[in-house]
Amino acid sequence: MALTIEEVRKIANLARLRFSPEDERKLAGQLARIVDYIDQLQSYETVADAVAGSPAPEAPEAKDKARECLPREVFLANVPASLDGFLVVPEVKGPADVS
Amino acid sequence: MSPELWDLPAEEIARWVAAREVSAVEVTDAALERTARVEPLIGAYLEIFQQEARIRAAEVDRRVAAGESLALAGVPVALKDNLSLTGHALTCASRILSGYTAPYTATAVERLLAAGAVVIGRCNMDEFAMGSSCESSAYQLTRNPWDLATVPGGSSGGPAAAVAAGSVPLSLGSDTGGSVRQPAALCGVVGVKPTYGRVSRYGLVAFASSTDQIGPLARTVRDAALGLSVIAGPDPNDSTCAGRPVDDYLGGIERGIEGLRVGVLREVDVESLGGASAANWRESLARLEAAGARIVDVSVPSLGASIAVYYVICTAEASANLARFDGVRYGYRASADNLTDLYFDSRSEGFGPEVKRRIMLGTFALSSGYYEAYYGRARGVLEKMRRELGVALEAADVLVTPTAPGAAFGIGEKMDDPLAMYLSDIFTTPANLTGLPGVAVPSGLDDRGLPLSLQVMGRMFDEATVFRVARAFEREVAWTASPAFRGAQAG
Repeated sequence: MALTIEEVRKIANLARLRFSPEDERKLAGQLARIVDYIDQLQSYETVADAVAGSPAPEAPEAKDKARECLPREVFLANVPASLDGFLVVPEVKGPADVS
Repeated sequence: MSPELWDLPAEEIARWVAAREVSAVEVTDAALERTARVEPLIGAYLEIFQQEARIRAAEVDRRVAAGESLALAGVPVALKDNLSLTGHALTCASRILSGYTAPYTATAVERLLAAGAVVIGRCNMDEFAMGSSCESSAYQLTRNPWDLATVPGGSSGGPAAAVAAGSVPLSLGSDTGGSVRQPAALCGVVGVKPTYGRVSRYGLVAFASSTDQIGPLARTVRDAALGLSVIAGPDPNDSTCAGRPVDDYLGGIERGIEGLRVGVLREVDVESLGGASAANWRESLARLEAAGARIVDVSVPSLGASIAVYYVICTAEASANLARFDGVRYGYRASADNLTDLYFDSRSEGFGPEVKRRIMLGTFALSSGYYEAYYGRARGVLEKMRRELGVALEAADVLVTPTAPGAAFGIGEKMDDPLAMYLSDIFTTPANLTGLPGVAVPSGLDDRGLPLSLQVMGRMFDEATVFRVARAFEREVAWTASPAFRGAQAG
């Protein structure tokens, strides 16, 4: 399956990634080759009632109860920018083409 | 003290320290000295906890003196750098986590510490555990102690190289598609992928949540079993962690395998691997028979799809799990004047090429118009594979395959061919996808003198039988080879 540069850009946009034109071309080729390999799945038998999720057959049911979370100062110690106990980010505006 | 203290198995160190025949501080010093000698050659560590390790060792000596019984008293251990340890940097070998400090400790690591282990340092890995050679680390190259021109495997290349080189007798890695077993194979050590849910994933940075498991690496099967017995067990902090108690892995490990049915998968075309690997495989089966096992032929027709299934499901999960790295809450933040650019630039500058490739592939597989054809299809094939393996494991008590298609490959050899790199995990991914336990155990050397390995897979939560088979095989192989650090003089 061939992937066009436009398709690579569309996927990159969904993944919040940007690539140089050269990397887009390289990625289109690499992804196409991997997807071609993955296409062999079409020739294997499947089970129709397969469910998404993890194979955790013996996990005990967890009680849904509130408990203490990380203290604010511990959380903020890892934040790239903070002010007066709050996390700081640039203003919320940007290109309109982000879906 | 004996100059070979660094070479002792974990089990023996713990026994000596508990009996106060040697102190944890002496053992730690020996490990640090050995590490200082080998580390310039292999580059297994991103950070060595020189001072802290000595302080922790002194604490272990005090606990022993106070009468505490510790399963890993004074045992030096190394951690893959995707396992949290409070107050320490945690990078996943990625630039996007530079500057991040773990605010809590992973359950598996907590249990090592409670058992008296001493953490020597955090080890290099493929970025976010995505790779089979340790070459996708954003920080450094790790070399295979057997031949410094070859890779240690991956993604737990650092923990495998550290154990093989004698820096520590025990380390922890994580295995999502073979990331403990494949580097263990390439470095000539034992590596364990436990049953999904056997070890808590709390404090392990998520890559693919439905297949990630933390597992031990060691130089002997007994040490690997000891390591797993310490870290396994229920944990309320991980909702996928099983509630059942942990078996006594060491209790029956020497019982032998007389009459045990060892299944060989018809679909695994070992002969196609060529010369040394095929010969070693035939020899391995003969050794299992010599130990009393009965070789039985089993079939899992969907096995050939495992890499394709893996690279749909795990990249899909990775694309979701790694969405959290956006430059807002932790790690690397790009300079940007609006929030959208901050997301795009932080991720584009912070992630390396292999991580981006897998995020792209996973996003593609989950995207509108492709979801059913790829993700849906992969889940259907996976379920079929799970059922077929279940049937195979009724006809056999364990299944065996080579762990990897061949011995360690050259540095840079597969970096430009992602698909060739992915195929390194062809024998290991089925256990991850279906949750089964698997152990890699050295099976001999190839014609270049590099280690080869046998994988033993078992039924869900039946690690005890898997260890028993691995131990019987280890005895038959009589593995005494050790890394030669080939290339050290020239390099």
